[in-house]
Amino acid sequence: MDSSAKKVLYIDLNSKSYEVKGETELAEYVGGVGIGLKIFSNFKERDPIIISVGPLNGFFPYASKTSIILSDEGVIEDIYIGGTLGSRIRFSGLDAIVLMGRSSDKVVLDITNENASFKENEIDLGTLGLPGMRSILAEDSNGKMLIDRYFTSPERFLEKKLNEKNVHAMTITGSKTFDLKNKQKYEEIYRNLLSRTDEMYVKQFGNPSCSGCPMGCEMSKTGELGGNVLIHCLVACTYAEGIYSDIGVIFSCLNVLGYDYTHEDLEKLPKLINGLLKDIEE
Amino acid sequence: MTKILKAKFPEKCIGCELCILEMQRQINKIGFEGSVIRVLKKPRMNTDGADGLEYSIVLDPQINKFDIKKIKEICPTQVFTIEDQENGLIG
Repeated sequence: MDSSAKKVLYIDLNSKSYEVKGETELAEYVGGVGIGLKIFSNFKERDPIIISVGPLNGFFPYASKTSIILSDEGVIEDIYIGGTLGSRIRFSGLDAIVLMGRSSDKVVLDITNENASFKENEIDLGTLGLPGMRSILAEDSNGKMLIDRYFTSPERFLEKKLNEKNVHAMTITGSKTFDLKNKQKYEEIYRNLLSRTDEMYVKQFGNPSCSGCPMGCEMSKTGELGGNVLIHCLVACTYAEGIYSDIGVIFSCLNVLGYDYTHEDLEKLPKLINGLLKDIEE
Repeated sequence: MTKILKAKFPEKCIGCELCILEMQRQINKIGFEGSVIRVLKKPRMNTDGADGLEYSIVLDPQINKFDIKKIKEICPTQVFTIEDQENGLIG
């Protein structure tokens, strides 16, 4: 995996166009809330929504959320939602999807890997993307935005902002695969993490679970708002904080995937994020 | 006798997709493309409307060329069983 750049899909809703860029300046922010805030600071005049994942999403258990950064009446909100969205973005090959501007008419965004298309509002969402490899973000009959027709976000910041932008729904399909370079070591770390369910802050339950998480917990449906910066740069579940707040664990995971982040890179993240927040507020 | 994997208790599935990821790891891959297991979901309906998700698991017969014991064991809700198949009939 490449630590030197993050791949970002920029969608301009005004012109209904898009482009993918490899952004080297995002690399030091690692992922999730880190790259989300940096992109927000770069494009804040275009009122962006930044949907992003971290380097462990799709690869390791409990790294199963998706970070969303947006401005709600001038206040920056960081939201974390579950379901399959994070793994679909990971397997699309992207680190972030950015929605900028506003569409003149209601649209449905259909994203497959690094390509986006703009569909009419009335389209049957079931006809878009690839079943089993897609995630659907759409409102239910009560106007609540749902991922995979089940998972929600706290408050209604996301629904409000998507409505302002005239985005009716989104589908995201990820059909890329990654080769394992060091299968034995990867398997060892993966199995170890998977066996640590007793260190989760939630109990195993029979509810719909996020992709890559064995918990099926009672909290999976509702998503998260704010919290630990390091966890949210990885976009791990906040209830896995007992596992993913250990820098040694994170470093092992990153290392086996081929990322060349150092301990120092991870340790300086909180300071970097605080600096970004100050810049945005000025 | 041949051992075959069956998704005998799909109603227990929580959609974690660990089975797919396990199968893909066995061929040195991470991702969903090319998987011989598909986990599909639809809203679970009751009289008040949707109250959850209902999953269906589609197994390509090629799954039985994999280490199916590992796939069975990684499922946190015991959706899968391994059964004997003799002369094309499930025993």
